[in-house]
Amino acid sequence: MTQQTFKSAKRRYHRVFWPLMIVYALVVIGGSFGLKQLDPEPQWLQALLALACTAPVIGTLLVMMRYAEETDEYTRMVQLRGFAWGGILTVNAIFTVGFLQLFHVIDKIEIFWFGPLFFIAYGLSTFVIGGRQCS
Amino acid sequence: MLVKNIIRTLRAERGWSQAALADQLGVSRQSVNAIETGKYDPSLPLAFAIARLFEKSIEEIFDDETEAQLAAQ
Repeated sequence: MTQQTFKSAKRRYHRVFWPLMIVYALVVIGGSFGLKQLDPEPQWLQALLALACTAPVIGTLLVMMRYAEETDEYTRMVQLRGFAWGGILTVNAIFTVGFLQLFHVIDKIEIFWFGPLFFIAYGLSTFVIGGRQCS
Repeated sequence: MLVKNIIRTLRAERGWSQAALADQLGVSRQSVNAIETGKYDPSLPLAFAIARLFEKSIEEIFDDETEAQLAAQ
């Protein structure tokens, strides 16, 4: 264990996390606004924008995992339990909604929304398990 | 198994805040609070770091309740 483990890990996390969030917001907002200006919307550009939106999300998940690995042991436990609960709640939601759709109880729901659901479940879980400082 | 400790007392004797102790150990203030309140048992390396900082042995700081109960029986 090195001195300042927690603080340096948190610094490294914020140094990458916030630029990724800015890139994400710019690509999503700018991309959807830009596409509307084109008629018809070129499919290759739609695909490119979709992948460009995914890249910062994947980057964010990797940065969150790196933070969990680099931070102090208690925060790591809280983060990993947050990941676990986020995953459990999201997979449960996928199965529940999936079966409700298979048995024609509900209409189609965009699969996209399970992504934000994971982040919300992860955030709430870390808050409940470890308190504000660990989330 | 629950491990009790006297970190809060030792910290108070030195007039350190939880944040000050956390800084010296390289952990979060939340970690110190969780250890003090018994919500979290530290790993062996962290327990050694705490013992070194307070210039005491691990046994002087951490008390294994199970062992104490067994000894009393």
